Amino acid sequence: MTPALDPETIGGLARDLAPSDFIRIVRTFETDLSRLVLLMVEQATSGDIEQYRRSAHALAGAAGAIGATRLAADARLAMDPKTTTPPRELLLQIGAEARQVLVELADWASNPTER
Amino acid sequence: MARPARVLLVEDTPTQAEIARAYLADQSHELRVAETAAEGLRIAQDWAPDAILIDVELPDFDGFALMRRLKEAEVAAIMIVITAQGSVNTAVTAMREGALDFIVKPYAKARLTVTLANALEQRRLSVELAEARAIISRDRYFGFIGGSPAMQAVYRTIQDVAASRANVFITGESGTGKELAAEAIHRASPRAKKPFVPLNCGAIPATLIESEVFGHKRGAFTGATEDRPGAARSADGGTLFLDEIGEMPPDMQVKLLRFVQTGTVLPVGSSKGERVDVRVVSATNRDPLAEVEAGRFREDLYYRLYVVPIHLPPLRERGEDVLLIARHFLNVYGREEHSHFRGFAPDAEAVLLGSPWPGNVRQLQNVVRNLVVRHDATLATAAMLPAELLRAARPVAVPSAQPRAEPSGRAGSEAMVMAPPSPPPSPALATAAGDPLATIAAALSALVSARAAPAPVPQVVLQPEPLPEASPRAAPEMRGPILPLWQVEKEHILAALDECGQDVPRAAALLEINPSTIYRKLQGWRV
Repeated sequence: MTPALDPETIGGLARDLAPSDFIRIVRTFETDLSRLVLLMVEQATSGDIEQYRRSAHALAGAAGAIGATRLAADARLAMDPKTTTPPRELLLQIGAEARQVLVELADWASNPTER
Repeated sequence: MARPARVLLVEDTPTQAEIARAYLADQSHELRVAETAAEGLRIAQDWAPDAILIDVELPDFDGFALMRRLKEAEVAAIMIVITAQGSVNTAVTAMREGALDFIVKPYAKARLTVTLANALEQRRLSVELAEARAIISRDRYFGFIGGSPAMQAVYRTIQDVAASRANVFITGESGTGKELAAEAIHRASPRAKKPFVPLNCGAIPATLIESEVFGHKRGAFTGATEDRPGAARSADGGTLFLDEIGEMPPDMQVKLLRFVQTGTVLPVGSSKGERVDVRVVSATNRDPLAEVEAGRFREDLYYRLYVVPIHLPPLRERGEDVLLIARHFLNVYGREEHSHFRGFAPDAEAVLLGSPWPGNVRQLQNVVRNLVVRHDATLATAAMLPAELLRAARPVAVPSAQPRAEPSGRAGSEAMVMAPPSPPPSPALATAAGDPLATIAAALSALVSARAAPAPVPQVVLQPEPLPEASPRAAPEMRGPILPLWQVEKEHILAALDECGQDVPRAAALLEINPSTIYRKLQGWRV
């Protein structure tokens, strides 16, 4: 399976930043990810599609920033009004991808410099 | 920019904001983060950042709309757009809205820091340019008021020499602001926090000047009951201003030369010199080179002091600075005296502009003070100005003057307001000038002479130029029998009113009588 994190982007962060800063960004992303996915679930359930797309946009930005390219692509699909995939199906896809991203991030956070 | 650059990031996604913050942590900038466009706008207005990094997608309104609002609010910061959309359209829109550059997400640290460094450099250059333009167009500089080209040159010289240690020699007529210039040099220099010590060499007796400049030791002479530092030592680290240096006695010039050459102060009664760090600024209202040639001022001292010359122009060469300064004094004294003056009427401005101001700013200051003390109105008119000023003023153009004063009835923003002409010193001169008003004045003068010495009738003024037909009420004809005084007076007053466009206060000022006298007489004549 291809990695969930683009090595160039996440590697660039690890290279450019002090380990403490890198770890802080990983923690910030983890918080963002759980908050935004939870919001999207609530908004999709309540039928608030506008806010659902808004949260998807924020998730796409956060995921893109750390190199979670597939997750960012899923989030962009969710924010696109022309998408035909139902929100429930997309959220399941996002959830699975998010789990993979978190696993890889934990690996990067445990040893950001030696790669 | 001496202070750290201020950078505002408008970004609603915490992960993105944290990455930017971490990338910029070692850049010694001050960074603030706004999570919404509205918050970004508020911070930009309150905090005045140098650069703003703007995410396009924001929760309340988009980054392009924020840029428009920032421009409307006249926020001068450089704007950089951060976007996930790397399309040409986004780039074009960003540039059209005023962005200097744009960054596509995700971005590396170098991309952000280099883009920001370029932006801040551009900002620094534009700030410097604005400051330079402000210097060129300024109408105030330290204590000076005036934006005339002559004064701009003075400001530029002061600015240029302020940072150096070079001695400065200021020349200019009395009242042109030589001490103000010396103080401006001091305040614009790195010595600004150290003392500025002015000393008027012309006001100190020759026997005391050495002690005043270099100080003395206790017991050095009768009355020296304690050590005194003197001006040179008091100015250590700062600036010593020697005004009226041309008045310095020759023996003192030798001692001053030694001080300027060595930087060592030798107090009276002491054999031990003390080094000081003093910049010397000298001034005189005389021509220093002429003083050297006349043997009154040492040539070697002249060349030591005359390193950077600054010549202060007389007020008569400073154009509309006269009005700026007069308005300033009118405001200052108006507040002090609780008067209602709001400005000068065009006729007063014409007089102010046309006056030769031999006493320069000091004379103008006195004139305005006198006016405020003696009168109260919304506008200060020519009639409120001293008669000698009205007589000395030459005709000048005043911008935006009243159309009635235009010479040819031509509409325009700049009209010629005639300041009262100088009265002729002799009837012969008056007639030679061919000026109807001067002819009238000459005729009246002759009449007064005739009354003082009734016989013979003075012949000297009996050759006035023929009066133009356009002036029906002209000077009394003196060829025939002597006219009754009331008739001469009436014709003279009416002629003066004609000349002044029926402006009673102005005519009264020229006739040196009270306006109420004219009103009373007009009523009596039923004119």
